Amino acid sequence: MKRLPKIDELIEADDIDAGCAAGFEVLHQYVETELAGADPARGLPGVAAHLRRCPACHQDYLGLLDAVRRFGDDS
Amino acid sequence: MPTETLLSNDPVALIPESGMDAASRSWVDCFKASGNRYSECLARLHALLLRVAKHEATRRSGSLRVHGPEIEDIAQQAADDALMAIRAKVVTFRGESRFTTWAYRFVVFEVSTKIGRHFWRHPPIDMDQKTWDQLPDPLPLQPEHIAEFREVQIAVRRAIDEDLTEHQRRVFVAVALNEVPMDAFAREIGSNRNAVYKTLFDARRRIRASLAAAGHARPTTSVESA
Repeated sequence: MKRLPKIDELIEADDIDAGCAAGFEVLHQYVETELAGADPARGLPGVAAHLRRCPACHQDYLGLLDAVRRFGDDS
Repeated sequence: MPTETLLSNDPVALIPESGMDAASRSWVDCFKASGNRYSECLARLHALLLRVAKHEATRRSGSLRVHGPEIEDIAQQAADDALMAIRAKVVTFRGESRFTTWAYRFVVFEVSTKIGRHFWRHPPIDMDQKTWDQLPDPLPLQPEHIAEFREVQIAVRRAIDEDLTEHQRRVFVAVALNEVPMDAFAREIGSNRNAVYKTLFDARRRIRASLAAAGHARPTTSVESA
């Protein structure tokens, strides 16, 4: 079956999607795993699926990555 | 959306939770303190949250045309509310990450919800308009796939019009089609991000089921890194 990228993106719904609230609870672990050079999607596949589909949480993920890289512990 | 999928099936892929780094331990101890030390701890964390909030508000400001004093105001409110949330939640911090990473999560979220308010000052679209013209141009497709594209497009439109509830249709049109920021939309309808996303998720599943019933089943996707 040929993927129709834009239409399929519009209606994609992954059954393992963790949702916003559950994803938020572990977003710090997800980000630090990525910053450590590991693949967070291996351990948190439901969060990875959610971040691909939820633009708001994806922006939070990008913002947290950026903040940790830029400010760190600030100690 | 099963929350059990949050549980790691490959623990080695996650940062070990054993032990807490010295800086994080210092923050936690600080929150257990009293008097001046506690006040100084809150002030230091607030200053850090404010820096993160200003940076994050600036990072997000472009598309919403938010500038100068508004960014300062958003950042101040976000830092204030994030500090309140952190004070309430700090007892749940177990050292799964650095304390600051755990804490920045709250201020990033607060910036997102607060900056969403500004979307409605310059909304780019009529939310009641079904912007079907914004659906993808089939030109990138090979000619033999254009007919399929048209058939699926019609089937999707029919599913949205006939199979979604009124609320699902409103959420799908606003968030998926018109790309209204979820926090802005949630605020507009007196809801929250989590509830809006759940509705969007259910709408997408219903559309996919409708397509499958009409002989246009769409492929599922594998999990990829965000």
